[in-house]
Amino acid sequence: MSGPDRGAWRLIAARDFWVRLRERSFLISTLLNLGVISVLVLLRASGGFAGATSFELGVLGGADVVAVANGAASLGGEDLPVRVHPYPDGAAADAALNDGAVDAVLTETQLYGLESVDGRLEALVQTSAHQAAVDAILAEHHVSEAEREKAAEPAPLALGALRPAPPDRQDNAAVAFVGVLLLYGQLFGYGMWVATGVIEEKASRIVEMLLSSIRPQQLLAGKIIGIGVLGLAQLITIAGFAIGMALATGADFVPTTAIWAALLVIGWFVLGYAFYASLFAAAGSLVSRMEELQNVIVPINLTILVSFIISVGSLQDPNSTLAVVASILPVSAALAMPVRIVLGVATGWQIALSLALLIGSAVALVPVGARLYSGAVLRTGSRVKLRDAWSAA
Amino acid sequence: MPGPRPHPPILAGPVLALLDLHRRFHDVVALDGVSFEVPEGRIVGFVGRNGAGKTTAMRIALGVLDADEGEVRWRGAPVDTATRRRFGYMPEERGLYPKMRVLEQLVYLARLRGMPKADARASAERLLETLEVVGDPGARVESLSLGNQQRVQLAAALVHRPELLVLDEPFSGLDPVGVDVLSGVLQRAARSDGAAVVFSSHQLDLVERLCDEVVLIDRGRIAAQGTIDELRVSRARNLWQVRLRDVDTRWWEVIPGTTPVRSDDGTIVLELASSTDPQRVLDVARSAGDVLAFGPVEPSLQELFREVVS
Repeated sequence: MSGPDRGAWRLIAARDFWVRLRERSFLISTLLNLGVISVLVLLRASGGFAGATSFELGVLGGADVVAVANGAASLGGEDLPVRVHPYPDGAAADAALNDGAVDAVLTETQLYGLESVDGRLEALVQTSAHQAAVDAILAEHHVSEAEREKAAEPAPLALGALRPAPPDRQDNAAVAFVGVLLLYGQLFGYGMWVATGVIEEKASRIVEMLLSSIRPQQLLAGKIIGIGVLGLAQLITIAGFAIGMALATGADFVPTTAIWAALLVIGWFVLGYAFYASLFAAAGSLVSRMEELQNVIVPINLTILVSFIISVGSLQDPNSTLAVVASILPVSAALAMPVRIVLGVATGWQIALSLALLIGSAVALVPVGARLYSGAVLRTGSRVKLRDAWSAA
Repeated sequence: MPGPRPHPPILAGPVLALLDLHRRFHDVVALDGVSFEVPEGRIVGFVGRNGAGKTTAMRIALGVLDADEGEVRWRGAPVDTATRRRFGYMPEERGLYPKMRVLEQLVYLARLRGMPKADARASAERLLETLEVVGDPGARVESLSLGNQQRVQLAAALVHRPELLVLDEPFSGLDPVGVDVLSGVLQRAARSDGAAVVFSSHQLDLVERLCDEVVLIDRGRIAAQGTIDELRVSRARNLWQVRLRDVDTRWWEVIPGTTPVRSDDGTIVLELASSTDPQRVLDVARSAGDVLAFGPVEPSLQELFREVVS
């Protein structure tokens, strides 16, 4: 090939990049992503996804009730602060509950909330009440104060775990969820752009002009790379924005986790896109009109959607057989594996195997996609059958 | 880019050669051994009925489609991608990016064929002027009238100053002014720039007027090719037309070796055997009545075409 010919794909890529950058849908999707990220970061900064981290407890009753409430507060300690607010009568307490000034109200006989009582608060209060009752009985039997205090030792059992989850699993799960959501949106959205870009060229018949100057493989490569680079640039923008925002709002994120997760998402986007893009292009080349796109694209979209659902499910149980298999199979690895990596459960060999399979199959799919594309892209009219596209090239 | 090439010699050598091309689509044979040549600086008309194989042959020449058998050669060598970039093409299915701006699109297409950006821009601007494309070069293609879009399409084929121009039905859809503009552009490309030009058309009067040579394809095979005069000679029938005032007798029947071919509105066309002297026909005609017109019939391309494909 002569000098400038090698650069043909670059011209194609540059055009696809700039044309789509200027499209309104790109602007909208960028703004939408930034908006969602902002909301999530702000939510996390003001309390996080794990629910309230401190409680307001209303108290209605005499000194013994207040003592139970204070007991719950001291059990909660600094990890789960409980602040006690005495109220003179039931009406005032209920009003406070209605206003959201308190999370629950404790009386002589019950603990009640507005709709329900947070399980952690309940555990603190129940334990405190139980201790108070036991303490009263022991006092009646003239057990010494020192012994009673020993009996009230809050945690007689040491806690352990065979395979301890990282202490920041909750935060990591949140980061992983945002990451997999982003990945899903990018893989799906930019894959669709490849498919519609192919159809546009087919429908407007410009493709015959293009193919009289360059080879179908160059056209395909340029399109996939141009659109992919745009997707990558958008992803980097969003990730950078998210991290910057997290730092600015002083969210108690471990910033290294967020940066690490962002890099993972970006890396796995490149791999996943490389895997799916040539399939999207091949599917697009089979039809001549936008309206027919849905028919050929369903299998690919469904694959990505199912991978996404499995990945979200694996946030709960990242070591289930389904989660492990999905993170290794190339069709779903791009979404399922980064989740398990962020959660810290993917082992070295799993990551290595997953990467090897995904990269290998992406490389193998490019010529397959290119061949289908070459065989089908000039055939306008009715939908081209896969077998015909394959044998025509 | 070199400047305009010198005027081509009268006997220009062939630059494009299609050699024994075969192509079938499933059970349909589109090309069944098509061979012809296009000389430098010449305009070649490619004519044939719908479905005769014109578009398939052109697509193969441009490398958009592969032949099952046979070869396309450019200046004696097989055509590769680098060579192909010096070709210009106007497909039968017109196609441009509808939302791309006119000038931007022409520059892009020229650059895809390896032209530097500045040259591409200058050439595109000049062409838009030459082709009298009305409207803002910064307008989107879809906003132009169909006639103007057609001219932009032509500009897209010409913008990189190709050495070979292949145009599939370039005149269809043009108004008379557009036909004149396009004719002028094709003649200039061939005569001044020395490009080899091939175009297909059903407007045979145009082909006859513009083309140095004609290639006639029928059912995937070349039925005839050569200059129009050569075709006339090879297909020549010795035809003479006679017009008499108010005579409706079959006066020619007394002359041996005359066959009436057709008659309309008082004019009779006779085919003469080679032994028959046309002057004898004139003598008999004059004795039959007042002769208003007498002379040999030059068959038009239309007539040659009909004769060949029938």
